[in-house]
Amino acid sequence: MTLTIVRLYHDLLGTYGDQGNAEVLVHRAKAREIPVELVEVTPGMTVPTSGDIYLLGGGEDGPQTAALELLRADGGLNSAVTSGAALFTVCAGFQLIGSSLPGADGETISGLGIVDVHTVYTSAPRSVGELVCQPTRSHLPLLTGFENHQGLTELGPEMQPLGMVKRGIGNGFAGAEGVWHGNIIGTYMHGPALVRNPELADVLLASAVGDLVEFHDPYADALASERRKTLWPHS
Amino acid sequence: MRLSFACLVGNFAGWVSRISGRGRGETLRGRTILAIDPRALIKLSKGRELVLVSGTNGKTTTTAYLVRMLEAATGELVSTSKYGANMSAGIATALAQGPRNRLVVLECDELYLPSMAQDLQPKVIVLLNLSRDQLHRTGEVRKVANLWRDTFVTDDVTLVIDRDDPFLEFAAGSAGHVLRVSFGGRRHPDAATCPNCLKLLDWGSGDYLCSCGLGSQLAQVRGDQRLRGPARNAVLAIEAARLMGAIVPIELATELTENAPDRISNFEIGGHSIATRLAKNPESWREALAQVEAKCVILSVNARGIDGRDTSWLWDIDYSALIGKKVICTGDRRLDVAYRVKVQGVVEVATTETFEAAIAQAGSGPVEGIASYTAFQELAAAQLGIHARQGGRP
Repeated sequence: MTLTIVRLYHDLLGTYGDQGNAEVLVHRAKAREIPVELVEVTPGMTVPTSGDIYLLGGGEDGPQTAALELLRADGGLNSAVTSGAALFTVCAGFQLIGSSLPGADGETISGLGIVDVHTVYTSAPRSVGELVCQPTRSHLPLLTGFENHQGLTELGPEMQPLGMVKRGIGNGFAGAEGVWHGNIIGTYMHGPALVRNPELADVLLASAVGDLVEFHDPYADALASERRKTLWPHS
Repeated sequence: MRLSFACLVGNFAGWVSRISGRGRGETLRGRTILAIDPRALIKLSKGRELVLVSGTNGKTTTTAYLVRMLEAATGELVSTSKYGANMSAGIATALAQGPRNRLVVLECDELYLPSMAQDLQPKVIVLLNLSRDQLHRTGEVRKVANLWRDTFVTDDVTLVIDRDDPFLEFAAGSAGHVLRVSFGGRRHPDAATCPNCLKLLDWGSGDYLCSCGLGSQLAQVRGDQRLRGPARNAVLAIEAARLMGAIVPIELATELTENAPDRISNFEIGGHSIATRLAKNPESWREALAQVEAKCVILSVNARGIDGRDTSWLWDIDYSALIGKKVICTGDRRLDVAYRVKVQGVVEVATTETFEAAIAQAGSGPVEGIASYTAFQELAAAQLGIHARQGGRP
């Protein structure tokens, strides 16, 4: 079986370098000799429903709305996730899989409704800077990333955050950062997030292929550890 | 009176900064002038003919081209800032140098352009491009384009723009006089949607035309599609010079468009001469990587204020030009760039704490460097005997 990673609308949601998440997943799968394929979906293409891991990145307001409308009209992503595929979303991508979010002119629009989260604009200044959180699942180390967003996101009652903020803003509600619901993760962490947190990349890979063999990537581990030590010296 | 005093004290402050080895003193000099006379910019620019150059990439080189062109065409001295100081203080310093020079060419930071256009009343503004850069500071590309569009609503200035950039076409949408230059066939990596109506932009064969009308205005000047970034900017500079009434000598125009110099410096370090390119955002990295010839390349990356504090953009760049070469990474964020090139497929990757150590590890063959903004500044300053950390804390 070939592991299929689907990168959605990198042209629209590639402003903040999150496309690197796909490359890291491919790199870590190949290193373990897992057959892997990266499918690039651009506007105009049908979203495949047979993928294993789907990725959405961050982008500007206009392209975010454009991507949301394309995904809504296509319906493929919702079907794939309902069938159990994993989904990793960042920033604008995280916001648009939620129940509601601000549209390009600030009005409230409905999202894809894959997770019950609501994004709003407040009078708070833009959240920009390094972000550190303690993941809600205990086997993971501290997660780090760089956030850069205007919207703040409130989780619905059934939703668990990805982590609790130790430094930075994150969702901006109740000290939470991101969302983790089944195989679906949303986060405000750029970096890209799976580059700076290789353990999180492995969580996604394991959700698709089961137990993973041990793999140490010296530069990935050194980078993750340098960021953690620099940003949260107490760790 | 107040202005003369401000300039005098400013000169003194700049001199103290220089002789104490803290830097070139340009920023301190300008800050002092503006602190004593807040209206100094307006006063110093009065009665002079100014060109402002702005955009994400190529401001410093294009400003230098334009100065050369105007000086060659008119025989007059042109006031300018030579070292890329492009905010209020640097601009005040440039204006205070040679206050009687009629012609002034200044590069201007994108976010400062609205206030500088207001204060300095330039005759011509050259807009080179808008792309992703320092996202933590400038926010989205469209935000800058919106800011500019709100600024250029009068007809007392002529904009010279590369119309192939939809953000510039949008920014110039309400301006009275626009000279459009087109080279054609270049899809803008950040413009998947129209900056005006936000619909998906139809790039067809590499040129955009939106159903809202953006892109329908024809270019008055067409340049060669094969030109690289610096040469394209030289074409924009020739047009700006012409609008200033200067006919650029044909030899100089040919030299700059056929062999436009990059932002490249030969640094003498540890007995080696290292050709190093400044690359500060995805666009300039792509340009720099396309030029690399040596078998060993040093990449120096920091993430201090002006570099952009988020290094995610390193993943927007295709480094396949480095496959098969030895790559040594240095700078504050050497691990970020080392891992990036490793995932790209570069086999021989090393990291060192300093640029000097990188050279020592490079061996005896030719070595080239690519450095982010503050890393490049530090190398340049070290050549002048200044060993100060550039760009503040990470």
